[in-house]
Amino acid sequence: MIQLHNVTKKFGSLTAVDNLTLTVPKGEFFGFLGPNGAGKTTTIKMIVGLFAPTSGSIFVNGYSIAKQPMEAKQSIAYVPDIPFLYEKLTGREFLYFIGGLFKIPKSTLHDRVAELIDHFEIGNWIDKRTEDYSQGMKQRITIAAALLHHPKAIVIDEPMIGLDPRSAKIVRDTLHMQSQNGISILMSTHSLPVAEELCDRIGIINNGKLVFCDTREQLQLDKARYDGKFESVFLEVTKQ
Amino acid sequence: MFFHIVHYKLLAFYKTVFDKRSVSIVRGIASSLVFCGFAYCAYTFAFSTTRFMLEHTRTGLYLFHTFISMLLFVLFIAVNLGNIIVSYSTLYRSSEVSFLLTKPISFTTIFIIKFFDNFFYSSTTLFVIAFMALFGYGSYFGYPWYFFAGVMIFVLIPFMFLSACLAVLILMAIMKLAGRIGFRKVMAGLFALYFFLIYMFFDSSNPITLVEKVNRFYPNVDAYLLHAAPGYLQYLPNQWVAQFFFYIARGDVMKALPYAGILLFVTIAAFGLLLIVANRFYYRSWLVSLDVQSAAQKIYDPAHRHFMDFRSRSLLPSQIEVLVKKEFFSFFREASQWIHFVVMIILTGLFAISVSNINLNLHIMDVQMLTYLVMFVFGGFMISSLALRFVFPMIGLEGQSFWALKSSPIKENKMFLTKFILGFVLVLPIAEYIAIASNIPFITETELRSSLLWFGIFNAFWVSLTMVSFNLGFGGFFANYLERNPIRAASTQGATLTFLATLLYLIVIVVIILVPVSAYFAALFQFKIFHFKMLLLAGMLLAIVSLLLSALGFIVGLRSMRRDF
Repeated sequence: MIQLHNVTKKFGSLTAVDNLTLTVPKGEFFGFLGPNGAGKTTTIKMIVGLFAPTSGSIFVNGYSIAKQPMEAKQSIAYVPDIPFLYEKLTGREFLYFIGGLFKIPKSTLHDRVAELIDHFEIGNWIDKRTEDYSQGMKQRITIAAALLHHPKAIVIDEPMIGLDPRSAKIVRDTLHMQSQNGISILMSTHSLPVAEELCDRIGIINNGKLVFCDTREQLQLDKARYDGKFESVFLEVTKQ
Repeated sequence: MFFHIVHYKLLAFYKTVFDKRSVSIVRGIASSLVFCGFAYCAYTFAFSTTRFMLEHTRTGLYLFHTFISMLLFVLFIAVNLGNIIVSYSTLYRSSEVSFLLTKPISFTTIFIIKFFDNFFYSSTTLFVIAFMALFGYGSYFGYPWYFFAGVMIFVLIPFMFLSACLAVLILMAIMKLAGRIGFRKVMAGLFALYFFLIYMFFDSSNPITLVEKVNRFYPNVDAYLLHAAPGYLQYLPNQWVAQFFFYIARGDVMKALPYAGILLFVTIAAFGLLLIVANRFYYRSWLVSLDVQSAAQKIYDPAHRHFMDFRSRSLLPSQIEVLVKKEFFSFFREASQWIHFVVMIILTGLFAISVSNINLNLHIMDVQMLTYLVMFVFGGFMISSLALRFVFPMIGLEGQSFWALKSSPIKENKMFLTKFILGFVLVLPIAEYIAIASNIPFITETELRSSLLWFGIFNAFWVSLTMVSFNLGFGGFFANYLERNPIRAASTQGATLTFLATLLYLIVIVVIILVPVSAYFAALFQFKIFHFKMLLLAGMLLAIVSLLLSALGFIVGLRSMRRDF
């Protein structure tokens, strides 16, 4: 479960996230949408401990990310929007590196790495250095690394960028399955069809404030009030 | 087109330098203060050394300028090596070049822009140091203001520029050869040749041999040195500059000017040659660099396990284990890291072997003490350079991938401590080796015996500790996670400030050890009583200062790791 209480993040005079309150319960797939610069990535970075909130509190599976960061991080997985990897490591080494950081025993890790390599169909190039990978290859490695430690919550920023249709399907299916297994997922995306297809609930952030938050069912009613397109709802609620 | 691009580059530079945010202003003021402090120290050091050598030890003008020639040679090699390594990134791996190549701009224009970019970026600090050293040296002789401006513009800058031109010519030759016989073979051959030439130079003009010979003729050193220098030295640019200074110091301007003229002529010719070669070959060599990068792609055999393999079991806790292995692979799979490290190890080895073989025939207290202090400072300078080059960039080189660590359940102090230990393990043995080697000539047959050696070993430990923690901490504070090139990361403004701060620390140490060391040599040569307590007290003071600075490095580094990413 992911909980944000009155979270604000300021960069100098700019308020990137403004008094945001949000809960993603266990097993929910939450779609986090918004225009460029709305505050999506800033919110995500605060959830995983890359940014410290200016005010407010964040809890991940009951642990405060500020006061119990180790416990919170142990139970969450993060997939960034741009999958930067350690260039001199191979994909396999990167997976073992992340496994070590999460203190996964070697015997378990061997099996888990093999399983994920198989699942994401990355065996052909897993032993090349990541500096030679394409964007899509890096993305798949990052998602595989995120799932290594069986997280209880996943925060994923723009997962479909750079993925070919087959890889995108693997990722969509994987995330859907994780959600059905009781994992909370907060996914930021610009792809409205992906959000509609996968998410149980969708939130739209604009200028740091949550301006829309409804279930998939409710979204159908909202769409009906416009021209039946989610795009129209999105444009309306994000209008200045 | 050239001026259009330069205009926007200057605009970007202006906005970076004159950033009006309060943090940047404070940082700018602090930088200026440290720069001024260092500039003043460089001036004072050059002035005092000139006076000391010419008046106190009565070193003749010729010998003094031979020393200057040696220093200039080191400067020439430093600029040359630095430019070869940095130019490869600037000219062949820069995303800016890839961008400009897609626009209707001539290859030569792109080359010139990147060449000057590279030269001014990597040599600004050296300009400041060179000018202040020149100012200190010239002030001793009472030269007028226009001398300094003239020498800087017409002698020292061309001298460094010539070195940079030769560096890029060498680099393009490497790329051309690499296209034919392979990159590794070219690099191996080139390094062998480079070290052979350096060895030849020092072998034939070794200052230590020179000092030993000169000591036998003391104080009539000029008479001896009149015919001492090997003939081929006159063809080297460092010798032209040194000769220029020598004749100016003797008041013979007409004999000095031809040396400046030769230097200017050769520099202009080298730049012209560089432009011709670049015009014909830069783009083709850029394509070769792509082939070299593609050829470097490799699939590792998963069946083959080595001792650092991530899959192998380890006695270390898992988080430390993977951090160490990650650092290991990141270092040894990056050519610019391990090659530069090997170069520095070889240079350190040469230095240590040379100094350990000094035979100080001249039993004069001041000369021995000065030699000891100079070697101490030079050893410290090498440790400082080593820490700057390899420890300072350690946090910044995490780069954009730092998210993987920052979002993992690992404490910042564990990350910092692991990096610190790795840096310390790298620097300490080299520091101790230098300390032992540079103390060997001073081991005496008296009852004082090896006390200075133990003092040196003790000092090397604290100096290493401070250099590593300070560089690591401030490397984190000034970290630019977008800079992937370790050499460029170690030559940023922040790196320069850190380096200058560590040099100030070295000066403080020299002040601390000055009293016991002078008492030691007084006991040795003037048979005064030496109290070992003096060494103990100085050691304690040095340890306290070092501990305080190390703590500062730790605090700054840890705070920087906790910053938003």
